[in-house]
Amino acid sequence: MAKFLMLSRGAAITPDMSPAEIQRILERYRDWTERVRRAGNLLSGEKLRVGEGRVVRGRQGQPVITDGPYTESKEIVGGYWLLEAASYDEVVAMLKDHPGLERPGALEIRRIEEFGPRR
Amino acid sequence: MTEPSESLPEHLFRHAAGRLVATLTRVVGPARLDLAEEVVQEALVKAVEVWPYQGVPRNPAGWLYAVARHRAVDRLRREASLRRKVAALAPLTAEPAPGRPGEHDDQLAMIFLCCHPALSRAGRMALTLKTVGGFGVDEIAAALLTRPAAIAQQLVRAKRRIRTSGLRFALPGPHDVDERLDSVLEVLYLLFTEGYQAHSGERLTRAALCEEAVRLGRLLLESPATRQPAVHALLALMLLQGSRLPARTGPAGDVLRLEEQDRSRWSRSAIREGFEHLEQAARGDRVTAYHVEAAIAACHAATVDGGPTDWPRVLELYDELLVIKPSPVVALNRALALAMVEGPRAGIRALGRLARHRALRGYHLLPAALGALWQRAEGEARAARCYRTAERQAASAPTRRFLAAQAARLRPVARPRGRAPGRTGRPRGPAGRPPAR
Repeated sequence: MAKFLMLSRGAAITPDMSPAEIQRILERYRDWTERVRRAGNLLSGEKLRVGEGRVVRGRQGQPVITDGPYTESKEIVGGYWLLEAASYDEVVAMLKDHPGLERPGALEIRRIEEFGPRR
Repeated sequence: MTEPSESLPEHLFRHAAGRLVATLTRVVGPARLDLAEEVVQEALVKAVEVWPYQGVPRNPAGWLYAVARHRAVDRLRREASLRRKVAALAPLTAEPAPGRPGEHDDQLAMIFLCCHPALSRAGRMALTLKTVGGFGVDEIAAALLTRPAAIAQQLVRAKRRIRTSGLRFALPGPHDVDERLDSVLEVLYLLFTEGYQAHSGERLTRAALCEEAVRLGRLLLESPATRQPAVHALLALMLLQGSRLPARTGPAGDVLRLEEQDRSRWSRSAIREGFEHLEQAARGDRVTAYHVEAAIAACHAATVDGGPTDWPRVLELYDELLVIKPSPVVALNRALALAMVEGPRAGIRALGRLARHRALRGYHLLPAALGALWQRAEGEARAARCYRTAERQAASAPTRRFLAAQAARLRPVARPRGRAPGRTGRPRGPAGRPPAR
């Protein structure tokens, strides 16, 4: 089994959503999360704070710190999930009913490189 | 990631929104209802941003409460004039939420604020749905058959009125509790009636209106101050009438008349609870219109096992109702009950006297009722004409389909479809609420 990092990119949630709409969305996320967790594919997930952050670059060996990154609003990384699967195909197959795909944005999947005794 | 929790409680977010807004409004004051609503909305949005990744917390309502309170404190700190209120918010931190003592009174005070007689009737309905019920503006507009912009405007006006009139966030005292309660019950009944009308496409939203009205009625009964016979009466009325909701539409979403409904689909638990409240309602000395209307609804609910309707009793009750609430719509219903007791022609004569009433002009139920009576009086051409007039005046698509179908059945080719009166051994024809459904 390999590990995958899945980043969620997209615009922020519209602030005027009604409580019932919010509940509907969350129930769909719950369904997806439960299914993937039961199948043993979901390791963890975290929400990243939006509208803040630091970018550190080296200039002549010294760190230069700027605020950000301020990407385009529809490209904001809102959070990530850590998944376990045999292949990219298996991860993609898990996403058929992922509620995030109903909004503009994208799910970006990156396989985590692993070496050593586990392989 | 938190442990997987049970599935989210039904209406968790709507109800939590209502409770949180009530609690925060008590602290910041009704003039700052906007602030309470905004921070609660921010908490809900925070949940939909975070929970997809981190899972649903073990105590979802408590999570929302903590975030909303935190936001409120933040906002108030920034507003010099409200600094004092931050201190008032502080004790909330220590309180176990939700379900802490006093929360219930907060919700009741909120209902009384939203249903204050100083607000317009439309404003009261919109504000109650938004603030107590946790419905969104679009949902309210869909349920009340209006535009979202109109609802938004009513909400703004109602909140402005709360500020300018200096309305208080408190339960009414013993001297004005009756008047204030009347205003609350009126709003609940309006919400229920709105929800009960069939309407295409938005049936779910509309059923939610009925549910919400019943929920708020139950809430009123939980407090000694508002546990009054009239509340029991209204609740009985809503439950008994609402018991027919599951049977009221056919597979295609068409409206079914009472006598066409599959009574096994009536909700027996609602009927049982309705009768219990009707009994409690009888313990007062004031007979309200809700009492009489609940008694009428009880006459219909009593036929759940297929027995006949006690029409003489229904007629008697309508006579009584006309004294308490003299309205042409009540008179129309009475005419239909009269037709069941004395025959269709008696009903037609009574409706004829109502036809000139200004309030009934363009009201589709009058020609619809006449159509039903002419049909029973064998005046089929007249019946078809009446149904067509009604069809033109009806607002909702299922109602229009219903009336068109009635008219179509009266065409000679369509007649052999076994419409013989007395086929089922019960009186056929319209029941108490025309077209009863």
